[in-house]
Order: sequence, then C-alpha cells, then structure tokens
Amino acid sequence: MIRRMLTSFATLAVFAAAVPFCHAQFGMDAPAKQKSYVTYTAEAQSIPAGQRAVLQLRFQLVPGFHVNSHTPKSDTLIPTALTLQPTAGVKPGDLVYPPGQPFSFSFDPKEKVDVYAGAFIVKLPVVATPGEHTMDATLKYQACDNASCYPPRTLPVKILFTAK
Amino acid sequence: MRRALLLIMMVSGISLVVWSGYHNIHERRLAAQEREAAHVTLIPDNSSSGSASGDAPEAPSPLLGKPAPPLSLVDLSGKQVSLSDFKGHPLVVNFWGTYCAPCKIEMPWLETFSKKYAADGFDVIGVTYDSEVGKDTISKNVRKLGVTYPILLSDPKAEKDYLADTEVLPMSFYVDRTGKVIQVTAGLGSEDQLEAMVKQTIAAGAQ
Repeated sequence: MIRRMLTSFATLAVFAAAVPFCHAQFGMDAPAKQKSYVTYTAEAQSIPAGQRAVLQLRFQLVPGFHVNSHTPKSDTLIPTALTLQPTAGVKPGDLVYPPGQPFSFSFDPKEKVDVYAGAFIVKLPVVATPGEHTMDATLKYQACDNASCYPPRTLPVKILFTAK
Repeated sequence: MRRALLLIMMVSGISLVVWSGYHNIHERRLAAQEREAAHVTLIPDNSSSGSASGDAPEAPSPLLGKPAPPLSLVDLSGKQVSLSDFKGHPLVVNFWGTYCAPCKIEMPWLETFSKKYAADGFDVIGVTYDSEVGKDTISKNVRKLGVTYPILLSDPKAEKDYLADTEVLPMSFYVDRTGKVIQVTAGLGSEDQLEAMVKQTIAAGAQ
C-alpha cells in the first residue's frame, strides 16, 4: 500500500518538475512580431496589502530612439501615456510620469522638444487586497530618432505584483 | 504512526504539485514579458540618415530611377489633385505627419524653395501620412507652418506605392520634369542639402 502511494507521489513529482521544461521547449519558439521602439521590463514586486504603495514600471527605449515625454510641450505631439485596465482587488491612484529632457534636432537646435530617452520609470500608486495581482495596461508612444519620426505605437504591459 | 507518516507525505506531495503549477504559470508570465523586453527593432542605418554628421539622408528605394507612381488624392478642401496635374514640372512629393517634429522643420524650407524656384516650374506636394488626426488638425498645423503648397491626404494606395514597408517620416521623392524619381530621402537633412537636391531636380531632365 505504502509502496503504491510512494510510486504515485513520485510520478506526480516528475510531472510537476517536467512542466516548466515543456514550456521552455515549445513556448519560446513563437517570435514576437510586433515592431516596437519601447520595451517593458517585468519585475516581481511585492507591496503591503491594504495600504497605499507605489509600483515602479520600467520602460526601456531601443538605443538611438526617443519618445515624447508625458508633457511634450506641444499640442501637436503625441504624449507618452499609460492606460490601465480595471483590475479586481486593485485600486490604482494617479500615475506619476518622470519629467522629460530637452532634445533638439541637429539641423534646428533652437526648436526643442521634451522627450524620454534611454529608460524611464512610471510610478503607479495602488491599494491592493492580499494575493497575486496582474494588471493589464497599454503604453501609447510615438518614437523618433535623430532625424526621423515613426507612427504612434501601443505596447501591451502586464504589471505583476504580490500584496502581502 | 505509519498512517500519520503516509498522510504527511501525501499532503507534502500534493502541495509540491500545486506549488509547482503556480510557480510555472508565474514563470511563464515573466518569461513572456522578458521575451518582449528582449525584442529588438532593427532600423536600416539610412533611416536615421546620419544627419547628425551632416550626410545627405539618401534612402534606397525601388522607385529610384523609375517613373513616379500615379498619385491622385484629395487636398484639405476636398479637391482631387493628381500628380499628372504637374506634368512637365520638377517637384518634390513630401510625406509628413502632424506628430513629426523634423517634418515641421523641413516644411518651411520646402515652402521657401517652392517660391524661390517657382520660375523654374518647381512645385512641392505635401502628403499627410497621419491616420490619427482629422482635416482640422492638419489645416491648423499647415497654417502654423506657413505652408501654401498643396497638402494632400494620404491613402493606402499612395502609401503602398511610395512608402512600401517603410514608415519613416519625413520621406521625400524628387521627381524631375520627365516624371522620373531621381532622388529619395528619409529623415531630416540640412537646408543646404535640401536646396542642392531641389536644384538637381530642376536641372535633371531639362531640355
């Protein structure tokens, strides 16, 4: 009886250990088709449950490109903005965007725009119930390099965190 | 005693399976986001055009040396304007967008040259490649830039014929008076470079 139980347990343990390897073998083959100039780096974040806490969302630009800041100082430029989807158990506060940095194109140094380059962090205050949470969001941005611009894009973002 | 031991082992085993399943889902989510983070966009060197160093922002294009594709689009007043209306004129077809800061640096230069070389028959046609804004916003931008040359609204055919798979703005096609594309540029160059190309376009195909 005990031997049979031990055999069943061993079988289950082998299955449990094998699942991640199966994913690595098949899931990694799908190439990302979306062309993007900004990427989001997911970080496991942990916050106190039931209290106001701030999540940090890190975005990285492809080298050589910049995007308009959240306040680009011109109503014709498209601001970088994150839109959050409602998530059960999570009450978000107002997003806090970093200030931009001045940028001018080499052939017109007088004309300055306000941009994010390299990396930037958007802060998201939340109050969350205990447990694992996944918030869906979309970052809208419009990228340029030192001489050209590219049509506006959206980047899907999944914000993963644990409230304890 | 043996039963208690058995029970503990079973509970431990089931806990391990549950934890492993949860851990796997979490890892998959993180891996998916890491894959997205590791995704790199490759842009041809010429798209950034080396403008910082002052090189002419020439772009390889299948249209180079070929007749300019027919173009028939509406302008901001709703009037149909065709490339054939400019037959025999050297001209620049300039794709731009309201969100494009370098385009707005270049357009007043094009306006200046359209007037300066009007006696040579030189014309400029602006094509707005900007699906997110309406005519009012485009008109407001055009007025603010002081542009008086025709501004047309792009359509999928014009984008396919001229831009193909590229999406770089500004993008300009220099068409000589015989209707042949003699130069294509992507990105902002200097005002002097632009004027040199305008002169080249006027001189090309001249009788």
